[in-house]
Amino acid sequence: MKIFPIILGVAASAAALAQVAPRRPAIPLDGKALFQEKCAMCHGPAGMGTGLLKRRVQPAMLEQRTDLAAEYVITAARTGIGNMPAIPRGEASDAQLAVIAAYLATQKAPAK
Amino acid sequence: MADLVFPPGLDAAKLAAAKRAFAAAVGTANIFFDELDRDSYADKFAVDDAHHQPLGAVAPQTVEEIQAIVRIAGQYRLPLWPISRGKNLGYGGSAPMLSGSVVLDLSRMKKIELDEENGTVLLEPGVGFYDLYDFLKSRGLKYWLSVPGNSWGSVVGNALDRGVGYTPYGDHTSKICGMEVVLADASLVRTGMGALANSPTWQLYRYGFGPAWDQMFVQSNFGIVTKMGLWLMPEPESMMGMDVEFDSPEDLGPLIDTLGPLRREGLLQQSPTIGNWLRAAAILTTRGEWTDKPGALSDDVIAAIRKKFGMGWWGVSLRLYGREGVNKAAYAILEQAMSALKPMSLKSATWLRGQPIEPTGWTGTPLTFPMQNANWHGGRGGHIGFSPILPQSGARALEQFHRTYARYKEFGMDYQASFAFGERHLINVNAVLLNKDDAEMMKRIDPFLRTLVADSKARGYGEYRTHLDYMNTVAATYDFNGHALHKLNEKVKTALDPAGIIAPGKSGIWPAALAGRRSK
Repeated sequence: MKIFPIILGVAASAAALAQVAPRRPAIPLDGKALFQEKCAMCHGPAGMGTGLLKRRVQPAMLEQRTDLAAEYVITAARTGIGNMPAIPRGEASDAQLAVIAAYLATQKAPAK
Repeated sequence: MADLVFPPGLDAAKLAAAKRAFAAAVGTANIFFDELDRDSYADKFAVDDAHHQPLGAVAPQTVEEIQAIVRIAGQYRLPLWPISRGKNLGYGGSAPMLSGSVVLDLSRMKKIELDEENGTVLLEPGVGFYDLYDFLKSRGLKYWLSVPGNSWGSVVGNALDRGVGYTPYGDHTSKICGMEVVLADASLVRTGMGALANSPTWQLYRYGFGPAWDQMFVQSNFGIVTKMGLWLMPEPESMMGMDVEFDSPEDLGPLIDTLGPLRREGLLQQSPTIGNWLRAAAILTTRGEWTDKPGALSDDVIAAIRKKFGMGWWGVSLRLYGREGVNKAAYAILEQAMSALKPMSLKSATWLRGQPIEPTGWTGTPLTFPMQNANWHGGRGGHIGFSPILPQSGARALEQFHRTYARYKEFGMDYQASFAFGERHLINVNAVLLNKDDAEMMKRIDPFLRTLVADSKARGYGEYRTHLDYMNTVAATYDFNGHALHKLNEKVKTALDPAGIIAPGKSGIWPAALAGRRSK
C-alpha cells in the first residue's frame, strides 16, 4: 500500500554545511497542520489508530469522521481510550489540542 | 483523588515552592501537576498501576531551561525523570522508576541540524522519527532513516535506550556521534570532538581525545542528553532481498546457523529479525476471533491462524543495500542459502532508486501499525518486554525457544517472540501481550517475567533492556566479581549526582543516599 506521495530522484540542493530547521512557533493555529504533526502517525492511512478503529467504526480515519465533538476528542486524547495511550500536555498543549479538536469537530459530511 | 506520592524528604510545602520556581523558569504553561497530568505520564502498559507514579512534569524548551530546572531540583532534592518523547511503551514509557519523581519532558525540544554533505544530524530529544523523516523528505530524501518497529518515539530516546531498526544502520546506539549533556550540578558538557569549541568534526569522529564518554550516557542516569549527533545512511542505489517463511519451530536453529556466518562475513549488512507467527498475526487479528479458551493457544488454533494468513511458524525478511551489481551478486548467494533450508515460501523484493518506495521498516519509513498488537486480547492491551542477549548459535536459540515456550504455556500466555541479529549476537525479544482488563491474567505477568529472567540468568544470559519493574532485578544478574560493574556504576552515580536528582534507579543504578531503594 502506498502511503506517502514520495518523490524520489529530486536532486538535493548543493550541500550546505549545516541546515537548521527553524523552531516551530509555540502554538501554530492550523488545525490540519497540528493534526498532521501530533496525530497522523497513528491516525493517518496506515497508522495504529486507524487500523484498530477500522475494526469497529467507519470511516476509521478521524479526518473523515463527521460525528466528532471537540470535547470528546480532547477527553479521548488526554485520558487515552481503548488501546490509545493518553497524550500528556508536554506533547500537545491544551491550546494545541483545542485547535486539533476544533478541526476534527468541524469536518462535515459532503453535501448530498 | 489519588494521594500524591512524594519522593524521600519532600513534602507538600516544599513541592509548592519547587513548582513556583519551575514556573518562573519555564512558565506556568509548561508545568503539569494536575491529577490528569500524573495519569497521562504514568506507565500506559503497567502491570501494577500503583508503581512508578510521577508527581508531575516540567517541559523545558531550551538547554538553559533544563539547567535552571536541575538547579531547582537540586535545591529541593526533587528527583527528575528525563524523557525524550516517553514512547518506549513496554519498558515503562514516560513513567519514572522512583515514584514521586518529576518527569522532565523534553518533547518540546525539536531542533534538527543537518550536515547534508556528511550525512549527519544533530538532534534535540523531542525530535520524533516522523519529524526527522518529514524533514529529510522535504529535502529529497538523500538519506534513509533506520526506524524501530513502532516509530512514534524519539530518535534520540531510542538510540539512548539502545533501540534497533532493520537497515544496516539498525544498531542505533552505534550511530551516535557526539552529545551535549547537562550534569546533575547543572554544568554543560559536550563529548567527543564537541569538547573542542567550534569544531567542525563533532558529528564526524566519535572519540575525541582521551576517554570517550558517549556510551556513559546511554541507558544511564549520569546526565541529561540535550543534543545527540547521529549518522544517517545514504540512500542506496538499490535494495534487494526476500521474505522467507518457515513451517516448523525446529527450523529456527538451521536458519540462525545459516544467517550468522553471512552476517559476520558482511554479505548481510542489515540485522534481520526472525519473528514467530504471532508477531505478525497479533497485528492482523484478535485472539477472540479464534478461541475463547483461556491459557496458551493450542496447536490447532495456531495452525488455523497460520493457514488463514499463510504464515510460517517463523518468518524473516532479508534485505541488501547498495550498488545494484553488488546486490545482485549477494542476492544469488542469499537465495541459494535460504533455498537450501527448504522454506515454506520465499518471496523476493527488489527496488531501484527512482521507483516507488515500499513504506516499511526495511526502507526506514516510520510505522505505528505494529502496535495494533496491543489489541490482541481485545481489552486495554499492551506488552511488556523480556529481551536476553544470546550468541548466534542455532542450538542455543532453539534451547532458549523451547524452554521459554514451555514457560509461556505454564503461565498460560501466548508466545510472541523474535530473534534479532546483531553483528555477533542475537536478542531474543519477547513482547509479552497482556490485557489490563483481565485481572487474573495480570496477576500472572510478574511471576512469569521473573521466572524468565531467572531462567536466562541460569544459562549466563542477561537482558539488554528491561521494563522499570525489572531494572533492579536485571542489574543484579550482572554479578561478576561481587557485582563489580554495578558497584562502579553506583560509585560514578554517587560522585556525579549524590542526591539522586537525575533518574534515580534507571538501569538499577542508585546513588548511595538512595541505596535502600535498590531492593524495592
